[in-house]
Amino acid sequence: MMLALFTVIVVLGALGVYLALPRGRAHPGRAPLLVLAAAAGLLAWLVVSVSTGGGPRAAFVVLSTLALAGAVRVITHRRPVYSALYFILVIVAVAGLLVLMGAEFLAASLVIIYAGAILVTYVFVIMLAQQPDDAPCDVDAREPLWAAAAGFALLAAIGSQLFGPVAIREPAAPVGDNVALVGTVLLTRYAVAVELAGVLLLAAMIGAIAIARRRVTSEEA
Amino acid sequence: MLIPYLTLGAALFVLGLVGFVSRRNLIIMFLCTELMFQGIVINLAAFGRYPLTGPPTLDGQAFALFLLAVAASEAALGLALVVLLYRFRGTLDAAAWSTLKDS
Repeated sequence: MMLALFTVIVVLGALGVYLALPRGRAHPGRAPLLVLAAAAGLLAWLVVSVSTGGGPRAAFVVLSTLALAGAVRVITHRRPVYSALYFILVIVAVAGLLVLMGAEFLAASLVIIYAGAILVTYVFVIMLAQQPDDAPCDVDAREPLWAAAAGFALLAAIGSQLFGPVAIREPAAPVGDNVALVGTVLLTRYAVAVELAGVLLLAAMIGAIAIARRRVTSEEA
Repeated sequence: MLIPYLTLGAALFVLGLVGFVSRRNLIIMFLCTELMFQGIVINLAAFGRYPLTGPPTLDGQAFALFLLAVAASEAALGLALVVLLYRFRGTLDAAAWSTLKDS
């Protein structure tokens, strides 16, 4: 029963994303919005009916709807600047979900690193690499039908395990002071990995500088 | 509450995947990889909070923090490459570099 409902949601979602992906200059109109709203409503109902015990459900439904709506706009908007801004919406919603899960430190670092650092880099690159409005690579998606079909087939495969006949046991237990505990874990069990992450960031920084300062002399590579 | 979080993580990952294979703008393709990272972060934190056996652990959150470091490195290198490619061809269209494909 739940699996059948999830299949209907997946088909609706694939149809909505396929209709919403940019194809030519024609505006997609109101249809994809309605289809995606129906899929989101069914998904919210399914989630509320399947979730047992523990955790504020209303906050989860609101935040996950925001995240999914922002994600759809990221992949369907024709102008890259707006895609980046909708991605910030996704980040904030995901940070809220992490707070619901008791991961306050991860939520704070997600907002600081993504919305504060990575997205600023994206906006800078969007400004540096200006294209004319309605450039062909922005208004035409590549094989939207096959892309949506393949992606949502993957989602159906995952969902058939999550909502399948074998139910996953749902434990619930409290957590303590998150920041202190995460700090302890990072600096004891994962101390070597923290050092490695620092080396990786240093290497990426040097590599990015070396790549970006190269002069381009000829028009053809 | 484990299954709702896993469903949301899978949905975010799939939306990023669909965007990655169907959009042609290099910057948006990189944004879609970041979208997939968000789905993975939710999965990691959910498995840490609601583990299948035993008490909740912080390993998922610690792993997600390392994922943030990798994502930052990936964004720095990828965007530097995008800027370089844009200076070569004057366009962000991924199809402009289809000569890199195996024939």
